[in-house]
Amino acid sequence: MTGRFYKALGVVLVLYSLIYGLLTTVPDLPIIEQSIRNLFYHVSMWFSMVAMMAGSFGNAIGFLRGENLLKDTRSVSLAETGMLFAFLGLFTGMMWAKFTWGAWWTNDPKLNGSAITILIYLAYFVLRNGIEEPRKKARISAVYNIFAFVMMIVFIGILPRMTDSLHPGNGGNPGFNSYDLDNRLRLVFYPAVIGWILIGTWIAALRYRIKNLSK
Amino acid sequence: MSKIGPLIQRYAKQELRNSNAIFSLGLYLIGITYLIYLLGGQNAADSTWNTLLWIVIFFGAVNQASRSFEFESGDYFFYYQTVAGPKETIIAKLIYNSLYMLLLSGIAWALFTLFYGNAVYNPLVFAGGLALGCVGFSAILTLANGIAERSGGNATLSSILAIPLTIPVLKIVSAINIQAMVGASLDEVYEMIGSLFALDLAIGLLAYLLFPYLWQD
Repeated sequence: MTGRFYKALGVVLVLYSLIYGLLTTVPDLPIIEQSIRNLFYHVSMWFSMVAMMAGSFGNAIGFLRGENLLKDTRSVSLAETGMLFAFLGLFTGMMWAKFTWGAWWTNDPKLNGSAITILIYLAYFVLRNGIEEPRKKARISAVYNIFAFVMMIVFIGILPRMTDSLHPGNGGNPGFNSYDLDNRLRLVFYPAVIGWILIGTWIAALRYRIKNLSK
Repeated sequence: MSKIGPLIQRYAKQELRNSNAIFSLGLYLIGITYLIYLLGGQNAADSTWNTLLWIVIFFGAVNQASRSFEFESGDYFFYYQTVAGPKETIIAKLIYNSLYMLLLSGIAWALFTLFYGNAVYNPLVFAGGLALGCVGFSAILTLANGIAERSGGNATLSSILAIPLTIPVLKIVSAINIQAMVGASLDEVYEMIGSLFALDLAIGLLAYLLFPYLWQD
């Protein structure tokens, strides 16, 4: 029963952000214009990805502390769901880039960071496929997962602060600030982030249960 | 902790005994530098010079690190496990590999200067960036190689695991090196050196904490 509440909340919040995100009035900015609505769909993907990867990281630490194989299954399910969000974030971002910056791909620290993050986690899955014995697989991949997560935070959180970027608020701060995120946007953006994280948790929980059943 | 010194000595001895590996690495360094020279590397602009130098160091280091746990595989693994604990082993490996890579990058730099002339305006900052880069770089490669070794000893796997992880270190180092080559203001460089140092510490600490989980069967 406890599960139903968060799933329903996730569905409601995502539907709200999808529908109300198109209806609400947005600030009238040059170049970006109506595509600013992509904020609700694109940026929430990255927030969800980081949340999923953080969950995966937490479970990897949990596994190393207690050698509980269920935690390993949970960790890999969350990482897979995080990958899904990473790809969705990449595609929505590429579309946005095409219509505002004029190219599908630009040499921007954040884009490089996300591409490398995807490479790191693909390497994680390659590593897992290479080991037969479950306990060894879990231990070695947990070690890599912990290392990879910390490096990912460096890529997407620290490196962009050191270089100029096309993303808003950059050349110092990769986050949003008052000038580009007004209250009308916040009213949709924050619910969208929470909603997608809940949906992601749901997807990961389903994957976790399927994995356990197929064993 | 008193075992770290002897362990490093042992690694060095093993490397010297295996003279084939040293010669092939030296030949690689000279060969690739001369190849770049023949292809017109002496006309390279600063950023290209720096990129080429790092590519040469990168592949040399990946090659060297892929042999990092060569002697700890199979039955020798159990022998080393009884001789020293995981914490001593990883510290010794980190120090040894860093020194090895410092030597490698120093030789590469010297060869580049010999063939293409001195492109560096501020050698001290350049050397500092190079040294810090080598430490972080070799720590990542060592841990990745340990993971690959424990998962079945596949040499390709260690590159797949390590290459994406080394990029933040490479990005910062090449930014520092470019600044040292053009002689930019030092304030900015110090800030980057500081962050690289912090990153190195974080990587080293992670390797130290995580290695014991790899070093068991």
